Amino acid sequence: MNRINTTPRNHWQSAVEKLGFGFHTSDVPYWDESAYYTFTSGEIDQLEKATTALWEMCLEAVQHVIDNKLYPKFHIPQEFIPYIEKTWNDDHPAIYGRFDLCFKNGQVKLLEFNADTPTSLYEAGIVQWFWLQDFDKSKDQFNSIHEKLIAYWKYLKVYLNPGKLHFTCLKETLEDLTNNEYMRDCAIQGGLDTKLVFIDDIGWEAETSQFVDMENESITNIFKLYPWEWLANESFGKNILADSNQAFWIEPAWKMILSNKAILPVLWELFPNNEYLLPAYFENNGMKDYVKKPILSREGANIEVVKHYGTIEKSDGEYGEEGFIYQELFELPDFDDNFPVIGSWVIGQEPAGMGIREAKSLITDNKSRFIPHLIV
Amino acid sequence: MKKSSTVKLILITAALASCNQKKKEPEWGEGSKTYVRGDSTAPYTRTHYGHGGNGLLTAALWYYAFRPYGNYSNGNYTRAGYYSSAISQRSNIGSNGFKGSVTRGGFGRSGYSVGG
Repeated sequence: MNRINTTPRNHWQSAVEKLGFGFHTSDVPYWDESAYYTFTSGEIDQLEKATTALWEMCLEAVQHVIDNKLYPKFHIPQEFIPYIEKTWNDDHPAIYGRFDLCFKNGQVKLLEFNADTPTSLYEAGIVQWFWLQDFDKSKDQFNSIHEKLIAYWKYLKVYLNPGKLHFTCLKETLEDLTNNEYMRDCAIQGGLDTKLVFIDDIGWEAETSQFVDMENESITNIFKLYPWEWLANESFGKNILADSNQAFWIEPAWKMILSNKAILPVLWELFPNNEYLLPAYFENNGMKDYVKKPILSREGANIEVVKHYGTIEKSDGEYGEEGFIYQELFELPDFDDNFPVIGSWVIGQEPAGMGIREAKSLITDNKSRFIPHLIV
Repeated sequence: MKKSSTVKLILITAALASCNQKKKEPEWGEGSKTYVRGDSTAPYTRTHYGHGGNGLLTAALWYYAFRPYGNYSNGNYTRAGYYSSAISQRSNIGSNGFKGSVTRGGFGRSGYSVGG
């Protein structure tokens, strides 16, 4: 793995905007093609293998949490437990997730798993691929995200409830809308009949106990770019449990277990000393070098990095009310003060590609930049 | 690992101009349906957002984020709502029959973006 500085394409902004990628820059650059990462095919094989192994471990961990009723550790609302178990036992459709990995000195380590609402899908699947077409068509990329999404939607079609597949996300966030619409694009190409309704606009029809869209069309399948911990705690949350359609919510509710950082100590307990895992606990357990993370947090908020018992980095935020976990510190590789995290995608149970975000510190937050990659 | 096919996008890029391109959307006030407009008062015009902020996003992209959305049914276009909640709730109900027992707004209050 190397980081190479390069010259961005002329008019790169318009090139990415033509793809529908409008959030390339906010108050700081997000899409950054002034550099790229290179990997050997051996390194890519290693990342693929790690992703496969981690996914298998995660599935075992979900079963373990359910069998042993570990829900209080995850701060999951009591009333949702039967529903979570139903979605797991009935194998409700799930399509994707993104492992955040540290790759350093030939080692791959899981930092966390974005199993419910992973973003940067469009950047990883599309934008960096078209960058490579302009930069060097002869090279390849660890990237079959687009093909796998279409193929898996096609596969899932027969397992969905009759009716349309709705897609939903928040209003007025171009990033969420782009990711959501990209996913819908893939579903359409997979042969599904889709429809967009914003999460704020979803209605509840009390007489029939059904969710409806803005045209009062009944919702029977819905892909949501909106986290379960938010859904469950909002005023319509309990209606999911009373829904006479028993709509499929994708990702399913059992992803509440995997998208929670409490899964990290559970994984370590189940698979101690596994090569892809870092020691992680619900207490700091005497560690002198560790990262303290809220079990529920987003975009690197409320993270504390401790080295030799002293705090070396700490991020602000409003998370932490539900509790924390402690994960042994495994510092990100340092490329001239750029610290990359690999987001490795699993789509339809298989590794599907990766995107790299890098920050100027050990905490990858909402100011991190997306850097493309290629295979040498 | 290796890509074998040409990447094709059928929704995202086309949607920059319009959500549905099968048929021209009826003009305001055309026919017997009454469409409630929100854009005469709400600040979401292309010009405003194209030149606002730090000027980094194109007008078309902002229009994409804030345009009306709707669907075709039996050859007729029905407006379902607006992409922006800056438009008043009343305007954002849509043009078709509104069932009295439907309540909305029970989701979407926990954050501004999913991020991460």
